[in-house]
Amino acid sequence: MTHLPIGKIVKSNSHIDYVCQVFGQGETLHPPAPSAYGFGSFVAVELETAGEPSRALVGLVYNTLLMNPEFGALGPRLSPRSEVEIFSPDYLAETATLLGVIAIGWLDVVGQVHQGVPAAVATVNCLVRRLERTELLTFHADDAGQPQLRYTPLLLAHNHALVAPLLLAVIDQLGELFPLSRRRLTVMRNNIAWKSIVQPAG
Amino acid sequence: MNSQPVQPIGTVKGPGETPNDYLLIAPDPERRVKHGEFVYYLALIEGETREILGRVTGRRPVKLLPDSFLADPGVPPATVAALLGYESEATELFEITVRVLGFHSAEMGDFINPRVPPVGGAPVFIATDALLGQVLNKRPRGGRGSAFLGSLLSRPEDAVPIALDVRGFTGTHLAVIASTGSGKSYLAGVLLEELLMPHNRAAILVVDPHGEYSTLQEMMNLGEFSEGNYKPRVRIFRPDQLRVRIDSLTVGDLRYLLPNLSEKMHYQLGRAFNFAQRSARNGHYTLEQLLYAVRQTAESKKESEGFDEDDPTTGALVWRLQSALGHSRIFHDFENLELEALFKPGQCTILQLNEIDRRDQQVIVATLLRRVYQARMDTAKGKLDRGDPSHLPYPVFCLLEEAHNYAPANADAVSSEVLKTILSEGRKFGVGIGLITQRPGKLDSDVLSQCMTQCIMRITNPIDQNRIAESIESVGRDLLQELPNLSKGQVVVSGASVNTPVLIKVRRRITPHGGQDLDAPAEWLQWFAQDRAAEQARDQALFVEKKIQYEDDGDVLWA
Ligand SMILES: Nc1ncnc2c1ncn2[C@@H]1O[C@H](COP(=O)(O)OP(=O)(O)OP(=O)(O)O)[C@@H](O)[C@H]1O
Ligand SMILES: [Mg+2]
Repeated sequence: MTHLPIGKIVKSNSHIDYVCQVFGQGETLHPPAPSAYGFGSFVAVELETAGEPSRALVGLVYNTLLMNPEFGALGPRLSPRSEVEIFSPDYLAETATLLGVIAIGWLDVVGQVHQGVPAAVATVNCLVRRLERTELLTFHADDAGQPQLRYTPLLLAHNHALVAPLLLAVIDQLGELFPLSRRRLTVMRNNIAWKSIVQPAG
Repeated sequence: MNSQPVQPIGTVKGPGETPNDYLLIAPDPERRVKHGEFVYYLALIEGETREILGRVTGRRPVKLLPDSFLADPGVPPATVAALLGYESEATELFEITVRVLGFHSAEMGDFINPRVPPVGGAPVFIATDALLGQVLNKRPRGGRGSAFLGSLLSRPEDAVPIALDVRGFTGTHLAVIASTGSGKSYLAGVLLEELLMPHNRAAILVVDPHGEYSTLQEMMNLGEFSEGNYKPRVRIFRPDQLRVRIDSLTVGDLRYLLPNLSEKMHYQLGRAFNFAQRSARNGHYTLEQLLYAVRQTAESKKESEGFDEDDPTTGALVWRLQSALGHSRIFHDFENLELEALFKPGQCTILQLNEIDRRDQQVIVATLLRRVYQARMDTAKGKLDRGDPSHLPYPVFCLLEEAHNYAPANADAVSSEVLKTILSEGRKFGVGIGLITQRPGKLDSDVLSQCMTQCIMRITNPIDQNRIAESIESVGRDLLQELPNLSKGQVVVSGASVNTPVLIKVRRRITPHGGQDLDAPAEWLQWFAQDRAAEQARDQALFVEKKIQYEDDGDVLWA
């Protein structure tokens, strides 16, 4: 069963750096639980497929941002929140959760997976959903069934404070998906942990 | 190849500083990749997978915990790392330098360097005991021509036995070098034991200035040493049994033995010596005849027909010859130590030179070596009959303790010249020399560099270390650095008798070691433990003699 959409693309900062707005109350029947879009979650950005080779982008949640126009309005509130929900629901919708999603690969129409910078571009309002476990497995397995992390340089080049923890989170997920390859994943994990945890603390 | 799969211990990083070095990276949590350890990688050489052996020469940590993690000695730094979320055990990584030896070729009996560095990323393995036992030794332990010296230091005791090639060191000479008390004599004892085992049966002479080799006599009683009707023989010549016939001394020996010769005396001694030789019947003459020759060749003799007793040069020469030779127990008119008695296969002859004056020692050694060398040359050239006492139809090996006395650097000794001759030419005629010294700096450097097998033990003195570095090329810099850190009984063997320099722990001797250090406190306490009678008797005695009982030759003086 495909996961329900958790949100939609609302903007991009670059070819691979998208912003997804999480569906809030009233926008969908089943608003997603926060655990569905946590840091390091893999998502699929569904593309317009008509005649296109790519079906979806594969992305990784690397950041979140809360929007709240009410922030900074220090005046007293006349009506309690429970009443606002009833009397002016569109006002509530102005608060939003935004996700930073970095595109790290794509799924093509014939079901093949690719890691790296996708050629295709997502458009505003493209739906974003969580990647399923089987998709996650096929996305990361090479032809021989061994895990691959070819998008790592992409992440490392993405100059962001959370890149190292993001990689650690990814490797930890892969360790569960590929228990037989834990030894090589550990080498990579230790390397990143040493450089991001031990060395900066010295 | 080894049948069981071996886990690699590291991965090739790339080439090292020289074309013969490469670097590898290893986590080495069990500390197995020690200095001097042997490792190998696999390479395809002419269609065959070969183990390319190398020796670890350097080790450098490349992943160090920050210094500030070490701030509190009570807190292990790994726990600080864990505190921050680095929980792996893998906190260490080493860059290891390996000097390539090559793969061992059975046909060549040697290592062949592939001259191509390993590919980066290739796995590196620790050489198994079995592999090392095969490739480090020229001969299998206990096989003919092998001298089992001990086992590889970097492995558990007896895991990799190392046997020297006896042909190597008896042919092209041996040097045993170490600071005092490091175990040179002990190691020499081990070598002598091996040389007299049934698989070697060597003809050996030991020059023993401290009387510490007499315990080798035990060999005659021990089962390990006999086979069939073979049993080694150990003959000990004590100082009072040593004889050097006066007519076997050269004019050089005489000049050396006589103190403070004037120019005139030098000249006259030479003439007298020639006179004695010319007039000697079948080459033999006595001290009296030599003195007669001195008188006959006096300057004054030319002018007046009669002999002038007052000629000062003649008088002084006669007096000097009398005191140097006439009052000596060693220099003798008729008796001589016969080579036949000294050298025989399966026999170890020990010349105890304690209590003998240094100059006399040098003359004894010089005359003996000269005669042995001459005898071997003459025998080899077919000049001697079977019946001749100098007929020596087998190679011999002579071991000299305190060798710096017989070929000192920057000083002359009568023995230097013959020693140098034998060291450079002896291999042609089967005269092998083993030199033992605690001061290589005091040993003539030519002499040292002629010894093609070297056993080097702990050396702390930097002058001696430099001398070794200068005269011995086969020991690598990495092994030389180890020398001050070796402990008793650990030895670096290099040169002609091993395939590659190895660091060995010398095996235990089968016979007891004779050179025990004196235990002064024990002896002082002993003094009080004696009853009064014994005490008084001892008070009156001039010398304290300690006796060890032996079955064959009775008492042996222990000094
Ligand atoms: N391999 C060994 N195993 C056990 N003991 C040893 C070993 N080598 C040496 N020793 C001990 O160390 C002491 C000194 O050894 P040894 O007499 O051989 O030293 P050395 O180098 O000949 O000294 P010197 O310069 O005084 O002649 C001896 O008491 C000996 O028993
Ligand atoms: Mg000694």
